[in-house]
Amino acid sequence: MTPSPTVDRSSPAGATPEGAAAAIAIRGVEHTYAAESGTVSALSAVDLTIEAGQFVSIVGPSGCGKTTLLRAVAGLLEPSGGRIEVFGASPRLARRDRALGLVTQDPGLLPWRSVQANVQLAIDLAGSSAASPAAGAAHGWLERVGIDRYAGLYPGELSGGMKQRVALARALAVGPRLLLMDEPFGALDELSREAMRLELLALWERERMSVLFVTHSIREALLLSDRVVVMSGSPGRILEDVAVALPRPRSDALLSAPAFLEAEQHIRALLRAGA
Amino acid sequence: MQETGWLDGVPGAANAPGVTGGAGVVRAPRASLGVQLRRSLAVALPPLVALVVLVIAWEFWVRERQIAEYLVPRPSAVFEALRDDPGRFATAARESLAAALGGLLVASLGAFALAVVMAHSRLLERALYPPALMIKVTPIVAVYPLFAIWFGFGIGPKIAIAALIAFFPMLVNALIGLRAVDPAALDFMRALDASRWRVLWSLRLPSALPYVFAALRISVPLSLIGAVVAEFLSGSSGMGQLILIANGDFDTPVLFGAIVVLSTLGVILTALVAYIERRVLFWHASMTGS
Repeated sequence: MTPSPTVDRSSPAGATPEGAAAAIAIRGVEHTYAAESGTVSALSAVDLTIEAGQFVSIVGPSGCGKTTLLRAVAGLLEPSGGRIEVFGASPRLARRDRALGLVTQDPGLLPWRSVQANVQLAIDLAGSSAASPAAGAAHGWLERVGIDRYAGLYPGELSGGMKQRVALARALAVGPRLLLMDEPFGALDELSREAMRLELLALWERERMSVLFVTHSIREALLLSDRVVVMSGSPGRILEDVAVALPRPRSDALLSAPAFLEAEQHIRALLRAGA
Repeated sequence: MQETGWLDGVPGAANAPGVTGGAGVVRAPRASLGVQLRRSLAVALPPLVALVVLVIAWEFWVRERQIAEYLVPRPSAVFEALRDDPGRFATAARESLAAALGGLLVASLGAFALAVVMAHSRLLERALYPPALMIKVTPIVAVYPLFAIWFGFGIGPKIAIAALIAFFPMLVNALIGLRAVDPAALDFMRALDASRWRVLWSLRLPSALPYVFAALRISVPLSLIGAVVAEFLSGSSGMGQLILIANGDFDTPVLFGAIVVLSTLGVILTALVAYIERRVLFWHASMTGS
């Protein structure tokens, strides 16, 4: 619990003395950026635990630090203070273990590689240490996200929704235990967005990996998540950790259920009060 | 209906360029040879016609005014000069071309290697950029005597001069290109703990290619200039020497012939770079039309 930027590396990844470690344990994390007018506090005293196999969303206004938090969990950014553990080890170790899958708003595909070769790159990057997966592995993941027919095309030939599917297949292909998603559907049109949501829902209910999902959309968060963490800006902090008591498997029929609407109202009120 | 799941109700999925809807995926067929030929003709014809008209007008003007050949030769006299001794031009062109391409190769490899180093270290970039800039602003003619002492009077100093003049555009472009990496792609690779080498090889190098080709389009004609200038200064071989000798003889048709040969070389080399660029950068926005 001591807020310290250094992380204990003595314990092997994925195992703690107490047994199964939480997927993510965030303790007293704060982060400040250097700006022209002094320093800007992006995160302040954030505590958050995500159990293995949970789907947790973070909602909040732009600039509330939710992306900063996700990047810190991915080990892409070293927070100024506090401690983050991913499966009981540092994010860096989790990364080395290939425990992380990352999907961002910008799909970040390599335009000179075909769809299949993009997924294959992820497998190659991750698989050098482990037993190399079968040659058909990349294709199998493309099938699971419904784009195997486009395996030979290049990203420049795909629509935004299809690119995002490739990004998802690429992230899943390395078999991550924790999927980090930062506004993955943020740049899509409304119809693609709805379709992707439902597909992710179905996919997660099959695979049940741990997910940290950052979004602007309250409805998206509620539909997908076990918990919705509501954040507020300047400095970024957690307002409330809302448990979503909606039955699974879920479908878009839920969007008009009274319990859903009630939860939506509650979160909207929180965000309005926090702003 | 085979389409289920992710593709249902997704606009754009079936409308992606080069993709037909339905059960299979069909790439847009490549333009047939005839169509391709017609297209390149449509590009090449107007300037060719303009050139022919210009040459004919020039021929008539010189004949009409009876202008002395040592001042402005008839195009037909230039053609005769080229026809009478093609071997002389071919040998000189080959020598100049070898020096230019040698210099281009040395400059490209050296500049790219330096750019890779500088792209990975801001300190090295700050330390090495000013000296590189100094080389760029130094008139290459001033350096030639030194190169002659170091590299002798053969092809060595010519390659060195061509390399020197072609170096800077490649350095600057490669450096920008190596840094112009899609941040989302970089994040993705870092999240998978990709090594620096892996990021360099799989992400930075391909990302830099469009910039490398932009640099080549500048460096190719520059290297040719460098080679000819070096030949002027050494007077030992190549198109530069051919021009020097023709100039001493007041042999203006040969002078013009040399210009024709050199500009043709420049056009061919530039077209070659453009051809390779189209092949290699098929994925880049600049190549996909729109």
